[in-house]
Amino acid sequence: MSSSDQHSQNSDSSTNASAPSDVDTSADNSADSKNTTHFGYKTIEKDDKISMVAGVFHSVAKQYDVMNDLMSFGIHRLWKRFTIDASGVRPGNKVLDLAGGTGDLTAKFSKLVGREGQVVLADINSSMLNVGRDKLRDKGLVQNIEYVQANAEYLPFEENTFDIVTIAFGLRNVTDKDKALRSIYSVLKPGGRLLVLEFSKPENELLNKAYDFYSFNILPKIGELVAKDGESYQYLAESIRMHPDQETLKAMMENAGFEQTTFKNLTGGVVALHKGYKF
Amino acid sequence: MQRSNKSPLAAQTTQSSVPVSTLLSTLFSEGLLLPQATTSTIELIINKALALNNNKLVSFAAISQKTLTIKLAELSFPLSFTVNNNAGSTYIMVRAAADFSDCTIKTSLNTLKKLKAKQSLTQLIKQDELDVSGDIKVAQQFTSIIETLAIDWQSELARHLGDVPTHKLLQFGNKITKSLVATGKQLEADIGEYIVHEKRLVVTSSQINAFNQQTKDIASKVDALSDRIDKILLTVAN
Repeated sequence: MSSSDQHSQNSDSSTNASAPSDVDTSADNSADSKNTTHFGYKTIEKDDKISMVAGVFHSVAKQYDVMNDLMSFGIHRLWKRFTIDASGVRPGNKVLDLAGGTGDLTAKFSKLVGREGQVVLADINSSMLNVGRDKLRDKGLVQNIEYVQANAEYLPFEENTFDIVTIAFGLRNVTDKDKALRSIYSVLKPGGRLLVLEFSKPENELLNKAYDFYSFNILPKIGELVAKDGESYQYLAESIRMHPDQETLKAMMENAGFEQTTFKNLTGGVVALHKGYKF
Repeated sequence: MQRSNKSPLAAQTTQSSVPVSTLLSTLFSEGLLLPQATTSTIELIINKALALNNNKLVSFAAISQKTLTIKLAELSFPLSFTVNNNAGSTYIMVRAAADFSDCTIKTSLNTLKKLKAKQSLTQLIKQDELDVSGDIKVAQQFTSIIETLAIDWQSELARHLGDVPTHKLLQFGNKITKSLVATGKQLEADIGEYIVHEKRLVVTSSQINAFNQQTKDIASKVDALSDRIDKILLTVAN
């Protein structure tokens, strides 16, 4: 399929302003296996996804933190805190905060690993990385943080480098998620762990419907008002629906080689935290 | 979240559909992430208080990157405090995880109050009210640093409200406190009066003393009688 086939996935749905119930999120992987992938509900050439996602994040980078607080009513801070609590981080650890954006997790990890440890904030998007770097420097966090512009599919680090890799709200934007998971597995030390914090599928149908209404009707309007970019937030809602559900992502992690893979639903499954080990 | 040393991320089975009744409980318990909301609030308060500290001699350097974990019987999750000392400025991270700690204290809020009242730490450990594992020096260093903090709440309040409103507020606060104390004492006395004299549920101390005296008198009479019986028995036997 080409980009002209966009919205083909939801053409059968009754309305455009809500999530199509018949969209199979597992299709994401089948599309990935050929030369096409998804950009929200659009089916596009794989090569185009990086630049299209980059466009979204260049556009929203400066308002990213404000929007996160507004969209999640501040709960994203608790989701991230939960991730830190589940990470098992200790002084001296080496942590990779992948797709780290504006550095929320990096800031906390930096304080926990101390001088002996190191945190690498990596993001494919230079605008996000710049906003993150400025924010962390303003907080006086300079001693143990490195900044790397990197694609999750081709991580520019040696094998067995990190104790912990986190990717928070970033995996769904990656073109080839399987390749990214294999790349992450490679850079983890034996005994190291990956934590994937990502939007997922709510467990309750009522919550699912309310969440759909919010995502497709209110969220783009907030984006339009605050970030002057409703389209990017429409993409956000669509990309969440196209992201693999809890069990699918767990299976993907296991296929990439991760062991003792588990997930925990947060806020009724609106977000899930997946964790897997490399042994 | 569990209190043990295990990670809070536990394997969980998913359900395709959950009844509406469980939706609210999910959102209000796990959904609101209470352990994380709690640690977030505690972290904010501690670091705000640290920023107000006037005692510049306080140094956290000795416990930089050290973690003290407190497992309270009343809380379903642990509280871990990690000190980050970065270029002279100190930040204390609070987490709801106990996977790594230099010193872990298992106790209850009641025991913490006893500690505040200077009751011996060793005594509390002997009484199984407090369980310390790891490096106890870390706990001692945390405590001694907290005791040396000097925070001038009055000046801080004045910065935000102004001198006169702060003075009035404190006056009002003192008046309220005194009034509450007086009311409490009055209430205590009234309740005492009611249960002793009206309801006769409790006896007065003079009544207890009289009862004790009567008991002693009877006991001595019984002893005297017992002696006499022993003597009579001895006479009969002879």
